[in-house]
Amino acid sequence: MKRRTVVQTSLAAGLVAGMVALNLSEDDPPSLSKDAPWRPTNWPFPRDAWPQGRAWRRGTLEVYLRPKLGFCGNCETGVTTDEEVDRVTDVDLLDQRFAPVKEGLAVRIGALSGRARLYRYELANGTTRHVEGIAVSQKCDLVIAVIAGNLVDESERTSAYRHLESSTVQDWISQALGGR
Amino acid sequence: MTRQSLLIVGLLVAAFPSFAQQQKVGAPPEASNMRLVGWTDLQARSAYQPTIHRQGDRWIAYVGHHGGTDDIAEPVNPMTGKPEPNGTSIVDVTDPANPKYLRHLPGQPGKYEAGGAQMVRICDGSALPKGDRAAVYMLRTFGGEAHEIWNVANPAEPVLVIRIGGLKDTHKSWWECDTGIAFLVGGAPDWRTKRMTQIYDLSDPKNPVKIRDFGLVGQEPGATGTVPTDLHGPISTGPQGNRVYFGYGTNKGGMLQIVDREKLLKGPKEPTPANLAAPEVARLVMTPWTGAHTTFPMPKMPVAEFARDKDGAERDIVMIVNESILNECAEARQMVWFADLSIEKAPMMVSNWTVPEASGNFCQRGGRFGAHSSNESMDPVYYKKMAFIAFFNAGVRALDIRNPFQPKEVGYFIPAITEKTDKRCVKVDGQDRCKTAIQTNNVETDARGYIYIVDRANTGMHILELGGEARTVAGLK
Repeated sequence: MKRRTVVQTSLAAGLVAGMVALNLSEDDPPSLSKDAPWRPTNWPFPRDAWPQGRAWRRGTLEVYLRPKLGFCGNCETGVTTDEEVDRVTDVDLLDQRFAPVKEGLAVRIGALSGRARLYRYELANGTTRHVEGIAVSQKCDLVIAVIAGNLVDESERTSAYRHLESSTVQDWISQALGGR
Repeated sequence: MTRQSLLIVGLLVAAFPSFAQQQKVGAPPEASNMRLVGWTDLQARSAYQPTIHRQGDRWIAYVGHHGGTDDIAEPVNPMTGKPEPNGTSIVDVTDPANPKYLRHLPGQPGKYEAGGAQMVRICDGSALPKGDRAAVYMLRTFGGEAHEIWNVANPAEPVLVIRIGGLKDTHKSWWECDTGIAFLVGGAPDWRTKRMTQIYDLSDPKNPVKIRDFGLVGQEPGATGTVPTDLHGPISTGPQGNRVYFGYGTNKGGMLQIVDREKLLKGPKEPTPANLAAPEVARLVMTPWTGAHTTFPMPKMPVAEFARDKDGAERDIVMIVNESILNECAEARQMVWFADLSIEKAPMMVSNWTVPEASGNFCQRGGRFGAHSSNESMDPVYYKKMAFIAFFNAGVRALDIRNPFQPKEVGYFIPAITEKTDKRCVKVDGQDRCKTAIQTNNVETDARGYIYIVDRANTGMHILELGGEARTVAGLK
């Protein structure tokens, strides 16, 4: 086997292994975000119990963010279980039949800590996609983020987290929480 | 006061309405057609649910408490001289003008919602089918982790009977004293919601028998997708009425679920979507801006306005009370709603009522403003005639509900604050801005007609009676 073939085979195997590890499907959109700037977009969801949040897009990556004041199930411990992420997440704005892909993990966004979980959801055309639901808290107040896009690509996820930790977004979160 | 001073005060009041409305220690209560009879400080513990029970010739108030505060996690019990985590206050109110504090029964250590023993219900052993006839049983939550039953036949010396533990976020349960069936609110470990219902046969309190778990489809173990709103609490009409009214949501995503009690108790018990859906008769989905904290049934209510109508002269009404949870009006208004369930498959909201905010500049007074709960006593003295609504910094409000299509306020009482009243803060530019205001949290009545209100901000329990027009509405002399 030629060296180039070996390298290509290894890369392909690595990619497949990564997708299997994340339990992701090939329906996730390709990464087109590498050098694109984050652009604010209109909040695309209908009015519900909570005030509208902020939305951004970068290539095919989308981030939705809003506070849910007073909604934390345990004001002392914050969000520590997957059930709590399921309960409070905004992933249902994309599809009410969302299903978890795997167990969640503890996360931190700026000074706020909580938990995130990967879900699978379905578009109107029947295509399945992946989305990460994030819930972090300050006492009884939650900040909910949703990252939708090509989550096969870890750099995309990292990019979304960096955006959530940017001063622009952190300032907005701070304001939404009364200046913390 | 000089003319110049008067002018300055006038300008201040005009410029800062809250200046005029801020409560001050030592100022008198604000009241209309309601009068203070007695008061007890409840050891300056944050109070949640009062239940008043007649025990022989005595009247005893059992008051549930939230956990402690950041400032005082475990207040000192003056009777023992020791700090104790908030639990249950037991007060002899036989003479309402001179309430006697009998006992503080500690609850789960923890602050605010994370500790205490918020809920309390009482059943006589003589009423329960298999109870000890000499016993009086108190069902209470133990923080968020358990339900407990105590024998309070001697209210000053409660004796623990049983504990049902391993739960999360236990809250406002309902106990049918004539059957022993209890609808216990909390979270089973494997369910996807903080609060659902565990139904028990507590006819013999020493030997609880689990009947089934119950909740909304989507809350059960293994479900996926949107998790329906948490339960707040149910109220059952017992075997005669054969309905249980479940209120979901506190300040958001409110929903009234009407359930066939017999199907609920006797139907298949596995928490499958089909089995959970089977006993539901109908549901009334409210605006997502409001919750359904209390769902108080008033079946077959005669409405004078409809007396000459050939149909619909009696209505099946459920009063739904939302809970305000954010300080200084940082949410949609939570209030009182009246639903007509006469045609169960098509329940309809027919009226609502709120305290006019401008009547006291309540959004600026500090703490929560909005409804929380109503009295739940069905004693004839007020049932289907008057309702009492706890409205946080607007105190308690007395409503004439004889025409539930047009509820009308006939009285109110906003207690004075004390040195012990706890502050309530909001963040402004990153800093806490705190105000002190009464936070009337819950209300209950007794068969004599006294009204008991308790304060979330540690101001104790006020015992009230009606006067003027309100007394006439209730038919009291």
